[in-house]
Amino acid sequence: MSAAPASPVREATSPEAPSAAREIIRLDDVTRVYRVGETEVRALDHVSMSVQRGEFVALVGPSGSGKSSLLQVLGCLDSPTSGRYLLNGAAVEALSPDRLAGIRQREMGFVFQSYHLVPRMTAARNVELPLILAGVDPAERRQRVEAALRSTGLAGRMKHRPDQMSGGERQRVAIARAMVMRPQLLLADEPTGNLDSRTGDEIVTMLEALHHDGLTIVLVTHDARVAARAERVLTMRDGRFVDERRGDGGRP
Amino acid sequence: MRPADVAALATESLRLHRLRTVLSGIAVAIGVAAVLVLAGVGDAAKRYVVGRFAAMGANLVTVSPGRTETSGMRTMFEGAERALTLDDCDAIRRRVPGLRAVAPVSLGTGAFRYGEKRRDVYVVGVTAEYATMRELAMERGRFLPPGDPRAGGSYAVIGRKLAREVFGAENPVGRMVRIGERRFRVIGVLAPKGQSLGFDFDDLALIPVATGLTMFDKVSLFHIIVQVSDPAAIPGAVARVKAVLVDRHRGEDFTVVTQDAMLKSFRAVLDTLTAAVAGIAAIAVAVAGIGIMNVMLIAVSERIAEVGLLKALGARSTQVTKLFLVEALLLSALGAVIGIATGLAVLAAGARLWPAFPLAPSPPWIVGALALALTTGGLFGLIPARRAAALPPAEALQGKR
Repeated sequence: MSAAPASPVREATSPEAPSAAREIIRLDDVTRVYRVGETEVRALDHVSMSVQRGEFVALVGPSGSGKSSLLQVLGCLDSPTSGRYLLNGAAVEALSPDRLAGIRQREMGFVFQSYHLVPRMTAARNVELPLILAGVDPAERRQRVEAALRSTGLAGRMKHRPDQMSGGERQRVAIARAMVMRPQLLLADEPTGNLDSRTGDEIVTMLEALHHDGLTIVLVTHDARVAARAERVLTMRDGRFVDERRGDGGRP
Repeated sequence: MRPADVAALATESLRLHRLRTVLSGIAVAIGVAAVLVLAGVGDAAKRYVVGRFAAMGANLVTVSPGRTETSGMRTMFEGAERALTLDDCDAIRRRVPGLRAVAPVSLGTGAFRYGEKRRDVYVVGVTAEYATMRELAMERGRFLPPGDPRAGGSYAVIGRKLAREVFGAENPVGRMVRIGERRFRVIGVLAPKGQSLGFDFDDLALIPVATGLTMFDKVSLFHIIVQVSDPAAIPGAVARVKAVLVDRHRGEDFTVVTQDAMLKSFRAVLDTLTAAVAGIAAIAVAVAGIGIMNVMLIAVSERIAEVGLLKALGARSTQVTKLFLVEALLLSALGAVIGIATGLAVLAAGARLWPAFPLAPSPPWIVGALALALTTGGLFGLIPARRAAALPPAEALQGKR
């Protein structure tokens, strides 16, 4: 469990070969610079980190600290300006957009603060979307969609459209959608941000359950109570890690 | 992605904005319908003209006096050139083998009088062959009897309209009439045939050719019509007729026009006209394509976050392109189907309202219009689809371009 310290550490050079197989994410000296007009915004400033398979990591920090940018890089939705990103030991920062799409499809699930459900589609159709994109045949799709929705407690909501569901239900649809491709990594960007605390707790409990089943989770949150339920809490500020603590979470 | 899924997803998106979808579909439909209707009118005009030619009789070669390149432009000074005579007609009949019939025709106008009634009509001098050549049928009585073309005679066959106008309900057959200064007995009334290239068979009087020549004091026939047995024999017959007349006239002071050549040039003109008119209508389809592009650009900008989501879920750029492109194609296909239905309905209605004009849809134009609409939808849909596919996933997820 090699922590990413506040100061950048060149982990690629450190001799940690035995743990490498368990390492799912490894960032080496990653920088992401956005250009906004004339000014440059350094969203990630020489960040290095490592996440082990099966870990539950929370990223916290004030707005603009870079935690969402980091999550986008981890999710292959955005590419670092410089630095290396190894996913399962393979460098992904230089891959073509289509290869990155393939990685997102197979390896990752996403959960967003605003759910990002397609409003005109039923819960089942929303969950089916990744399977359609992957070309899975309809019979198998139906089965997997049903299983995913049942496991998030929405077996009775299959035909409901997002505007007919509560926020918590919508986020559970989103979790079902994220899990339907059976990814090894779940990236959650403020999943409880739009929910009341009780519903938020339910969602985190659901994530914890998935984590206990072996899923690796990286979660971005404002909420200290949510963060505390992770195994490891990394605090960011100005595009850097400034603190690392153990959370209350973790396997018993 | 399976093709059925692509189609289903695109349809779901189109359903979301029914009004927008239908309106831009209608734009395509108007263009497609215009192409079909205008092409249908052009084709019908061609069929109409061809039909009129056919009504004039098949496999005909016309020899007119005077040397001009264009028929119908003969000089008025017929005396200045060698006339076409009944002797020429006999020579052709004798010396050109394989002709089905040769018919001399003289032409004049005169006042047709019966009792108090008077009507100015074309008076056409013909022989018995004329009826078979022009495929004239009789409503009453009989046609001019066969015999020596030089004999002449004081009997006439009249068109149906002339008969109605002058005789009313009375049976004209057997009645004595005056044409010009001469008296004729009406021996027959033609069955209705209508106009053929400006010549109204329903409103004329047919008399023996020799009588016609004397009556109008003419040296030359109006023309000689030669009928051959099949189209393949036309070029040979033309050459032989020319040779006979050149031999007799010591020069080519006459004009030979084959119906075939006239028909060909009419066809060419009408085909060009049809293509031009349909081409103008096709511009409407292209304009509708801009409408499709507009709708798709709106759709893309409304669904930026959705594109971001699709990308997060693992959609490749080509898949995103495909989804939006198929949406544009469905939109144009919808329009094309409505347009084809409308076009066919308009053509059918036109055909009912105006039975004489052979309006009918033509399958090549239907296929062409459909292909045009789809191509337009595809081309104009490509730009918005590419724009969607090019959206960077992270920004798109936040609804930013």
